[in-house]
Amino acid sequence: MSVALSMKKKKTHHWWKYLVSVVILVIYLLPIYVLLNMSLRDVTDIGSRLYLPEHFNFTNYPNVLDSQFFNAIKNSLILMAGTVIFQLGFGSMAAYGLTRSHNRLSKKISSLNMGIMMIPGLALLVGTYSLMVKIHAVNSLWGLILLSAAGGIPGTVFMYMNFIVSIPTALDDAASIDGANVFRTYFSIIMPQLKAITITQIIMTAVGSWNNYLMPVFLLQKKSKFTIILMIKSAFDSKGGLGNLPEAAAMCVLGMLPIIILYLAMQKYIIEGQIDSSVK
Amino acid sequence: MQKSKRAYILLTIPAIVMVVAFIAFPLVNGILTSFYKWNGYSQTRRFIGLSNYLSAFQDTYFWRSLINTLIYGFGSTLLQNVFGLLIALLVNQKFRGRNAVRTIVYMPIMISGFIMGLILYYCVQLDGGVWNDLLALIGAGPIYWMKTGARATAIITLVNSWQYLGLCMIIYLAGLQNIPKMYLEAAQIDGVGKLGEFFHITLPLLMPSVTTAVITNLIGGFKLYDVIVSLSGGGPNRKSLSLSYYIQLLYFNDEKAGYAAAIGVLLFFIIFIISWPINQFLKKKEVEY
Repeated sequence: MSVALSMKKKKTHHWWKYLVSVVILVIYLLPIYVLLNMSLRDVTDIGSRLYLPEHFNFTNYPNVLDSQFFNAIKNSLILMAGTVIFQLGFGSMAAYGLTRSHNRLSKKISSLNMGIMMIPGLALLVGTYSLMVKIHAVNSLWGLILLSAAGGIPGTVFMYMNFIVSIPTALDDAASIDGANVFRTYFSIIMPQLKAITITQIIMTAVGSWNNYLMPVFLLQKKSKFTIILMIKSAFDSKGGLGNLPEAAAMCVLGMLPIIILYLAMQKYIIEGQIDSSVK
Repeated sequence: MQKSKRAYILLTIPAIVMVVAFIAFPLVNGILTSFYKWNGYSQTRRFIGLSNYLSAFQDTYFWRSLINTLIYGFGSTLLQNVFGLLIALLVNQKFRGRNAVRTIVYMPIMISGFIMGLILYYCVQLDGGVWNDLLALIGAGPIYWMKTGARATAIITLVNSWQYLGLCMIIYLAGLQNIPKMYLEAAQIDGVGKLGEFFHITLPLLMPSVTTAVITNLIGGFKLYDVIVSLSGGGPNRKSLSLSYYIQLLYFNDEKAGYAAAIGVLLFFIIFIISWPINQFLKKKEVEY
């Protein structure tokens, strides 16, 4: 009797959690459903996007896989790799140098860092854009890589400093007794200790670069330099009559798919990285 | 030892060069430009002192964008913290499917704000938008969701909060899991009840998480830009602009580079003036345990 009662109590305790969960999931999945729904329609199908298409048109997907699409993917990958390498390479090196040099300047620089992280990119738009024009970095992936990496360096330095502080300096000392210089120590002793944070930093930087809209849209004006986000934008922009909305939606799905797959596969690292970057 | 100290400083040089070239230099360049009347591309520009700053105070679009920026910042922060904490409390419970909720709620953060705004644009459309189709199911509507600036601003705030809610959820979840079990057990022995436990134990011990969540969201909300571009285009009639978006329009559409730079400097100060005292205040409220 009492067992049955407690079981019943347990059940009634749980049902609202499922109900709330289902409501949350519906709210979060509805836009994704709408996008998928749009991407599987005929151009002429203007029925409600709440219901399934009259006819499933899967050809929208292969139709957008032209050379421009792959070129945009290539550009996005170049930007991603370049930004990750410069931002993390320079950022982690600087973090090591700052934590180990123990002077007051390094404290000042790290609080300055916090300030820089708060500046919205657009507050600097005029200065940044006219600089990029001056150094002929418009329509150049390299210019954008350097600019994006520089923008991310303060945050990366901040994150790495939090981790390097907890690596005992005894490790450095042992290495220097063995005759390794600072650079050697950094690359062969310190770097391997930072594997976990480096993985999360790579993912976060890569996702941020893939999704970047602000500077690419102004700096990459030639179609041959478009990133995937700019391709999606131009596909939707031509929706007034000329364009093909279902194909634009299909391109949007394809462009976001790598990120979603990465997220689902590396969720543990991404969420841990998020916790680390916010708690520390 | 002195030699290795120099080597440590050497390690920081590439990063410092990058930051100086691409952040400090544009900042100084922007401040200087703000004292000029300049269209953004011609070789000549005219020094006009503080005129750009003075005209900002008489510019209704500036005030409107400033108020909108504050709404985006504070509104999103409020919504995200309240609902983020509630969802964190939910997924902190043990039940099947809680991982699915966590995964799905965090997922939109991975997607570009520009793309999210684009998708949501097709949800809030007057004709054929999914929100109105849903209303039609219960025989209501249709509603012209983006008809006025106030409505567009509210919907943008809502969409932004929805997209980045997962951030708060994760911050609070981590905070909740860091609370030592013995405090909660002690509270149960004292018989304070669930609500008492939440307000007297959980919430005070969560204050460090509140600090990070509030500051992160405020900074994110004040920066809001790409969701607005694709969701409302700043409209109707430039009434849902944020300051960031206004700066971009002034520079590239209106060819007022000097004025855009001045508003950039103002935005910088506004964010600093708001975030700094809030950070100090919240830091004081944190409980040591």
